[in-house]
Amino acid sequence: MAAVAVHQFAECITCHAWSPDQSMVAFCPNNSEVHIYKLFGEKWEKMHVLSKHDQIVCGIDWSLKSNKIVTVSHDRNSYVWSQDGTEWVPTLVILRLNRAALCVQWSPKENKFAVGSGAKSICICYYEQENNWWVSKLIRKRHESSVTTVAWHPDNILLATTSTDGKCRVFSTFIKGVDSKESESSSSDLKFGEQIAQLDLSVTWAFGVRWSPSGTILAYAGHNSMIHFIDDVKSNPSAQSIPLRDLPLRDILFLSDRVAVGVGFDCNPMIFTADDTGLWSFTKYLDQRKAAPSSSRGSQLSEAFGKLYGTSKQVPSNDTVEPSKPRGGAHENCITCIVPLSKRGNTTLCRFSTSGLDGKVVIWELDIPK
Amino acid sequence: MANNVRLYLTCIRNTLEAAMCLQNFPCQEVERHNKPEVELNTSPELIMNPVLICRNEAEKCLIETSINSIRISMKVKQADELENILAKKFLRFLSMRAESFQVLRRKPVQGYDISFLITNYHCEEMHKHKLIDFIVQFMEDIDKEISELKLSVNTRGRLVATEFLKQFI
Repeated sequence: MAAVAVHQFAECITCHAWSPDQSMVAFCPNNSEVHIYKLFGEKWEKMHVLSKHDQIVCGIDWSLKSNKIVTVSHDRNSYVWSQDGTEWVPTLVILRLNRAALCVQWSPKENKFAVGSGAKSICICYYEQENNWWVSKLIRKRHESSVTTVAWHPDNILLATTSTDGKCRVFSTFIKGVDSKESESSSSDLKFGEQIAQLDLSVTWAFGVRWSPSGTILAYAGHNSMIHFIDDVKSNPSAQSIPLRDLPLRDILFLSDRVAVGVGFDCNPMIFTADDTGLWSFTKYLDQRKAAPSSSRGSQLSEAFGKLYGTSKQVPSNDTVEPSKPRGGAHENCITCIVPLSKRGNTTLCRFSTSGLDGKVVIWELDIPK
Repeated sequence: MANNVRLYLTCIRNTLEAAMCLQNFPCQEVERHNKPEVELNTSPELIMNPVLICRNEAEKCLIETSINSIRISMKVKQADELENILAKKFLRFLSMRAESFQVLRRKPVQGYDISFLITNYHCEEMHKHKLIDFIVQFMEDIDKEISELKLSVNTRGRLVATEFLKQFI
């Protein structure tokens, strides 16, 4: 129930993605290239370097069924890479953005992908067979600041976004000719770019939005060290906000409908579980650390957070000086990205990988009882 | 008195731990640009409330954070005119060599003696806890340095005066 494998690939990794058979990993080493490494026995070998972007590649996603890689960068461009023999061939996607792209994700059916950008808009791109290229449709309204993360609902139509204006929004991305109409849903909801819900739970920037595997629960993290879980967004939303002890989260992953993992500036994945009534709570840190931080440090940190975000938290102060201890543990710097790895065989073990600013990709294993 | 300093520095350390959660963020105003938002000051939603930690009227520390950068400005203790001049000269000496410090700002913020500018790139290259150790150590050392300088100025003045007045004995 801890780190299974630790690989140091570069000085600093921005984001990473795994191939469908999980033998290859693609990541951006904090520059304008994407490196693809393959595991040969025990050693990792660099197989390909995809260099088409001019600025840092901030989002990579590898589709599982169609084996395509989509990359987006701060230079406002996006490429879809498909494997042609041993080489990866890029196809430029005209995103029509005038600011940097910040995040990307393939839809569950892999016929569309969504890009969030600093232009306060989202691009939904789909493949047009007649012209043999990727077309983008923009959702320009509603966002008041940069869109930091996008997440697809399992039904391939709803898209949740988080933004630095603190709000989490759910949009419909129904495209005629690409998506098929479900008979249960009402036609008014299915218009492209229609905002289904807006969640104002966070007073500060929101990151890391994710849907649970069934699509009933939505979770996102606020930079004031809170994580928000929302049940049943479409009809009757009910929210739970859990304050964290230490530093904020950057990304979240649902391992099942009852277990979620959050990663962030603490350099340690946090497990959250829901009990039978649906009440979420923090369970534990995943990594075993040598020095456990004292409780006084935690209370002073929360007081400091309170000052930065304009809220007041009354906590008794402490006299002792806390020298900073090197944490010890798998990651040494902030964890920025968490990606699921599929289960091998029929076990209750869930695997996922994290990458961070220390240049490491760490694979974790966790036992999820059914 | 020593206890007072400890409290002040611990408070600053904890605030920095909370505030130094930076990430790479491209500029929203200008395409293809990536600048420290705390210096740019154009998008109010990207900048947090500034925190002012005061030890007394003379010593204080202002911490301004944004999504990709943090600016720490300090006002050091200056008890009399001599300390005033020494502090100004010493800190100007340091600020002019800001490039070798990497995190130092060339000009202090208006109303303060010295300023640091830490960006997400610094946090990627260096460990966050080491950066905070550096800042807190710097604050401790500044006081010591200025006291030492003042002592050496007074000692030198006394020696020179003694030598000069010897001729009149």
